[in-house]
Amino acid sequence: MTPPDSIGATMPTNEAIKSSSAAPSPTDSGGGEPPIHRRPWRTLRKYATIFRVSLSERMTYRSDFLIGTTLRFLPMVTTILLWQAVYVGSGQASLAGFNYNEMIAYLLLVHISRMFSSMPGLAGGIAREIREGTLKRYLTQPVDMIGYLTSYRIAHKVAYITMSFIPYAILFFICRNYFETFPDPLTLLAYAISLILAFMVGFYFEATVGMVGFWFLEVTSLLYIVMTLNFFISGHMLPLDLLPQPWQGILKALPFQYMAYFPAVVFLGKVRGMNLVYHLLGELAWAVFFLVLARFLYRRGLRRYGAYGG
Amino acid sequence: MIRTFGKYARLLGNLARYTLTRELAFRGNFLVKVSVEVLWLGILIAFFRTVFAKTNTLAGWTEPQYFFFVGCFFAVNGLIETLFMENCNEFAELVRTGDLDFLLLKPIDEQFLVTCRRVDWGTAPNVIMGFILMGISLVQMGWQFDAVRVAIFLLTFLCGTIISYCFMLLLTSLSVWMVRNQSLMEMWWLFSSLARYPKEIFAGPWGAPLGFIFTFLIPILVVVNVPSNAMVRMLEPGIVLLTVVATVILLWLSRRFFQKALRSYRSASS
Repeated sequence: MTPPDSIGATMPTNEAIKSSSAAPSPTDSGGGEPPIHRRPWRTLRKYATIFRVSLSERMTYRSDFLIGTTLRFLPMVTTILLWQAVYVGSGQASLAGFNYNEMIAYLLLVHISRMFSSMPGLAGGIAREIREGTLKRYLTQPVDMIGYLTSYRIAHKVAYITMSFIPYAILFFICRNYFETFPDPLTLLAYAISLILAFMVGFYFEATVGMVGFWFLEVTSLLYIVMTLNFFISGHMLPLDLLPQPWQGILKALPFQYMAYFPAVVFLGKVRGMNLVYHLLGELAWAVFFLVLARFLYRRGLRRYGAYGG
Repeated sequence: MIRTFGKYARLLGNLARYTLTRELAFRGNFLVKVSVEVLWLGILIAFFRTVFAKTNTLAGWTEPQYFFFVGCFFAVNGLIETLFMENCNEFAELVRTGDLDFLLLKPIDEQFLVTCRRVDWGTAPNVIMGFILMGISLVQMGWQFDAVRVAIFLLTFLCGTIISYCFMLLLTSLSVWMVRNQSLMEMWWLFSSLARYPKEIFAGPWGAPLGFIFTFLIPILVVVNVPSNAMVRMLEPGIVLLTVVATVILLWLSRRFFQKALRSYRSASS
């Protein structure tokens, strides 16, 4: 309900700032202009501060978090029991190349994948900033929005992973018998890379969805559909190998498998050699693709951005 | 007594009508919500179709029987989400902001006001979808009509819904002490995951004791199991009786706990 004249007034300002916001020039910081060579350090410190503040924010409500984490294990219990019943019912030792232990190990490992790749509230947050007009703080301050959100999100992930470490360590310790072999160092390295890339694919994918908010002010509905679908097609519910053929091929060609399925099968040693390298490169390519797409949509979106809400 | 009941029934009817009017003001949103639920049911069906492609029975349940179970779960859950979920989810925020004061001041039962204020019509079609899925599975298994089974199914279905409601109320009441209980929606999803599967899967050295605990001590497993079992598998009078007794006890217990929680409410920032 912003009066049209106020939109008109803010538009040129946005246009002017937009061009400089992507690459902050020394004049952005107002008073004391830092020498050119100190700029990377200052940038780093800026995002480190964002990181620290977000971290302490995350640690405020601990009891909420602890109960949440404990309850989070309940579905794992029923999952183990369900698959036990499936294997007993089928009378087979191996389904789609997964034996019972591997299946449970897989379903435990997707939790780790999702820990890295899920981004609760990211797209919705971006869409809200667009809708309510608070996005302009990124345009008037020498902070890049995607850069800010990345720092913020990494802080949340670090807090989350640190605090979930003990419950998860206990869970994996209890379930250690489902892991038949421990991966060799090279596989572990590939696993670590696949997780970091899973974070990037997840982050930039959701950021891309959030940028759609420039065109449609209400994206939460779209987001719900995407996230619900993602739960299945990322392999969170079951390994994609179990699906009948056309679907299996389609889902393995999509980027969503990298958010849950792929890191888990890397850990289990099901992808090896050159195949592993190709897939890691594929994952990187998707991460870069969404990074570029998110940035592209951001720039295009700013042109139509109306800075509502004052 | 009758007059009080009539008053609350009228109140609920008016609230339902009011929320429906509100909901229909945002028809697009309503349609999206419904399509998410349809999608979710589709995913569940795809998941269990995949599973039943590999096995003929799951813990003694055949495919049509299992889909009856899934339909029943969907219907119970739909009913809970339609009537209570959104209200309970808001409770933590009411506590945190102190807006709960306004509800406590009204001359209406607090529990009614906190848990039944709004009807979330977006999930109401879930109940219908659940019943359609149950109907399809009944046709697939060539079910013979049996009035006793239907009567017991309806009774235990109602009990199951009430039991879920009581557990949700217990979880909701915790937010008075935890202040921020934003993840109630998620917690509920995690907790209700216990009700999502047949109790026969609780087997093995640690599964069986868990099955016992969640049937007799924390009777979340009876919610969907008892009605579906009574309808499409064997009829066990003992467990039906247990379900009815558990419903009464939980109704009393959850109400006591909720009132205790309200007494600890400190009306912060008001």
